[in-house]
Amino acid sequence: MSGPRGAQNTYLLVPILLMAVLLSTAVIRGPSLVSLSGFGSAIIVAAPLVLATYSLMALAIAGRGTVDLAVGPLLAFINVTIVKLNGLDLVTSPLAVFVLALGIGVIYQVLFALIIIFVRVQPIIVALSGFLALSGINLVILPRPGGVAPEWMAAWGLGNTIFSPVLLIVLVATAGWVLFTFTSFYANLRMMGYDERAAFTSGVRINLVRIGAHVLAGLFVGLGAICYTALIASGDPTQGTTMTLTSVTALVLGGVSLSGGRGSVAGSLLGALNLFLIGYVLATFNFGAVQAFVTQFFYGLILVLSLLLTLLVPVIGRYVFFISPFSAFIVLGCIVAGIMLHVSTAGSFAPAPAGEQASAAASDLLKRYLLLPPSEPAGGGGLLTLTPLQQTLIGLAAAAALFTFTLRMMVAEALSARVGAFLYVFVSALILLLLFVVAEQSHAASSVGHSDVLGAVP
Amino acid sequence: MSDASPYRGPGSLSNIPRSPFLIWLNLALTLIVAAIGFGLGFAQGLRAQIVILYTVISTAVLFWLLNYVAVIFESRQFGEPREAAPGVLPVTAVRSVWAGNRILIVAMAALLIAYLVILASVPEFRTVSNLLAFLLVEAILVFAFKVSRAFAHRRSAFIGLIVLVALIVISSFTIEGFLSAANIRAVLLFASFLGIACVGQTLVALLGGLDLSIPFVIGASNIGLLYLIGLGVPPWLALLMVLVIGGAIGFLNGVLSYRLQGQALIVTLGTGFATAGLVQILTSIGSAFSGNVFGTVPGWLQNLAAMNGRTFGLAIPPTIILWIVIAIVVIVGLRYSAYGRYIYALGGNRRSARLTGVSEFKYWTLAYTISGVFAAVTGSLLLGWSGGGFIGVGDQYLFTTLAAVVIGGTSLMGGHGGYGYTVIGVLVLQVLSAFLIGIGLKYEWQQFIFGLLILPMVALYGRAAHIRSQV
Repeated sequence: MSGPRGAQNTYLLVPILLMAVLLSTAVIRGPSLVSLSGFGSAIIVAAPLVLATYSLMALAIAGRGTVDLAVGPLLAFINVTIVKLNGLDLVTSPLAVFVLALGIGVIYQVLFALIIIFVRVQPIIVALSGFLALSGINLVILPRPGGVAPEWMAAWGLGNTIFSPVLLIVLVATAGWVLFTFTSFYANLRMMGYDERAAFTSGVRINLVRIGAHVLAGLFVGLGAICYTALIASGDPTQGTTMTLTSVTALVLGGVSLSGGRGSVAGSLLGALNLFLIGYVLATFNFGAVQAFVTQFFYGLILVLSLLLTLLVPVIGRYVFFISPFSAFIVLGCIVAGIMLHVSTAGSFAPAPAGEQASAAASDLLKRYLLLPPSEPAGGGGLLTLTPLQQTLIGLAAAAALFTFTLRMMVAEALSARVGAFLYVFVSALILLLLFVVAEQSHAASSVGHSDVLGAVP
Repeated sequence: MSDASPYRGPGSLSNIPRSPFLIWLNLALTLIVAAIGFGLGFAQGLRAQIVILYTVISTAVLFWLLNYVAVIFESRQFGEPREAAPGVLPVTAVRSVWAGNRILIVAMAALLIAYLVILASVPEFRTVSNLLAFLLVEAILVFAFKVSRAFAHRRSAFIGLIVLVALIVISSFTIEGFLSAANIRAVLLFASFLGIACVGQTLVALLGGLDLSIPFVIGASNIGLLYLIGLGVPPWLALLMVLVIGGAIGFLNGVLSYRLQGQALIVTLGTGFATAGLVQILTSIGSAFSGNVFGTVPGWLQNLAAMNGRTFGLAIPPTIILWIVIAIVVIVGLRYSAYGRYIYALGGNRRSARLTGVSEFKYWTLAYTISGVFAAVTGSLLLGWSGGGFIGVGDQYLFTTLAAVVIGGTSLMGGHGGYGYTVIGVLVLQVLSAFLIGIGLKYEWQQFIFGLLILPMVALYGRAAHIRSQV
């Protein structure tokens, strides 16, 4: 096509852009997101959706238009089974619960795969059949929401810390998929999804590959169900349909091709997070009684719009091939992180007293964003010697240099197939810094008792 | 059927074995079973006429069944029926019978085992009517397997009809008052709601698409109509507006999904979701009870769909008549009009149809528009039936419309099937549902059974070719 290899990821540009916009809006509208408990609960709420989307992704890549509509009911099925067995004191230990959840997910998905392979019915019909059967049996197992999750899970759902076991599960799942993409099995999977006949004629054992994809999907669903159980700390047989709809939307939003062969864990993660943020942003606008309807309306609208956007992906790829999605992610990430830092720290610093404004502002800035003790302003040195005009000029020059640098980097990155190590380090450092600042803020708020001043940070 | 022919095909229905020994053996077996049934009937304290009637019917059916089995064995020169010690038969012959009737034998044996197990475990089950129902189902099985070979072309419709008959037979024996006028009317009424909602789904499926926005449009038109009536719009005008809006949503579905035909399912799900949300927002504005719409449903609309509605003085709800008319129009239209033929042409082979000058876009959007209109019709009729607006009224139609189309035998890949098949599918679903309610199963079990039912129904005729033969 247009030559540069970087264009293969172009479909990620849309979710990244949306993510930046949504995250900024979310932080500005509801600043409580930027705090330990804010992030913690966000991770716990988003985790089941993320994992369900991964499960759908694994199946969608396998091709034949496999959209497992039963993913929500399956998740709910595992959830109510865990709760029910826990109530009967049969399965309580962590190991047993994990084995149970993953086992149910894998067995169901392998059955799914075997039916597709040997009965040769369209996957969508199998999914439909599973949807009906599972939603029915869920209500039989647990007629109404209730029950108690295993005791050791109780602390998981509190969401007062970022590094909860739920985050670990999500990270392990993500890392697992990333490692999986390095295997030749993954190459076969993508090939089968893209063109099953070609894969078959070139000697790929497609039945085996398909079963493998379903096993992965089953594992993801099982993990998702555990996160979901931790989130609601009880059993709920009724949320299956909603979970299916949102995870399918997240899948499409993340740029995974429903016709098979294209998709990535980054896209799915972004899609699921975007969907969570949409819900969050909508919740900050107080619509009162029609809140649920507005959310429903926007979910539907976004689903349709993101599907239409997938039509534009080739066009975008043709004209914007020189922008690497990952670099765009970093640049936008910096901006959003800046906004987050500003919002989260703005409240904790009272306006500096007049008089020593400039130096106070400078020290404020230093202290606020870099957490450095402000150096004592030395008499006439530093910024104060410059005239305002000079300051403006220097500032503009610095901005221009930074802008040029990032632009050059984006273009350069776009031409390489894989993201350099530098970027990974940079992103991790950025995220760590953000988390550190937020943690500091939260601790400061709780220990000193600034909560009246902060308002933003609980 | 002359006795001159040495071999009688498995399809022949009048079966009398040539050997007198077999006839007498069958007669003896039949009479023994009938006597058991007779005794059971009186032990149960039924009325004498009913016992005699049941005994006669069961004797006739059993005799026919045994003779049928005997003839199959005899025509393959076994000399003995199945009941008489099969161990002495030559091994090759057994194998050939097994190969020829594998599924049938397995199915009959499974049914027999199930019957015996239930008989042994549940004392209340030991009644004449259950025995009779069991024998009838076995007879239907034999009939279905032996005759369906003659219907290679319309196999799905045939299987659907057989299942329908079997369901009706079983239900009428196990459920008191299943064949009463009131129950038949109720089943037909719900079938007409589902059937009208399925018109669009069938057309869209014939083109190779899917429309999942139907339940949302049903719910939205349901509350939308009541809202408009509550605003003071004349009911007929409100109905017209709702139908037009439904059509507009369908048109939007068609336009949006035209370029995304592989993902029509997801597109329509999205538009449906957005529609339901938007209509709820609009109807909630200025209302203290958001999500609830209040109003009075006009009398003619209630009469149209209520259970006690009357058509020109007849005690049949007009909706049933409406459904019949719609079904005839759609079936005839699909079969004889150019529009219907072009739909089949496009569903069968997109490319050739386009090369012969059929506008794909036009028919695709038209099918979706029709789907939207009929979903709105269903929503409005359901308003008349229930008398109050409720957004969730269409929820169960999300998958039942699909299930009815699939069970009837319309291929979701497009090009095969028709509305007649869907009618059969709708009736099967409704009778099954009535049966499950009748034997006391709750809604969730019904859903479970529906889910499990779809797979084997589709597997019977909707299987794709092996990848080896597609290369």
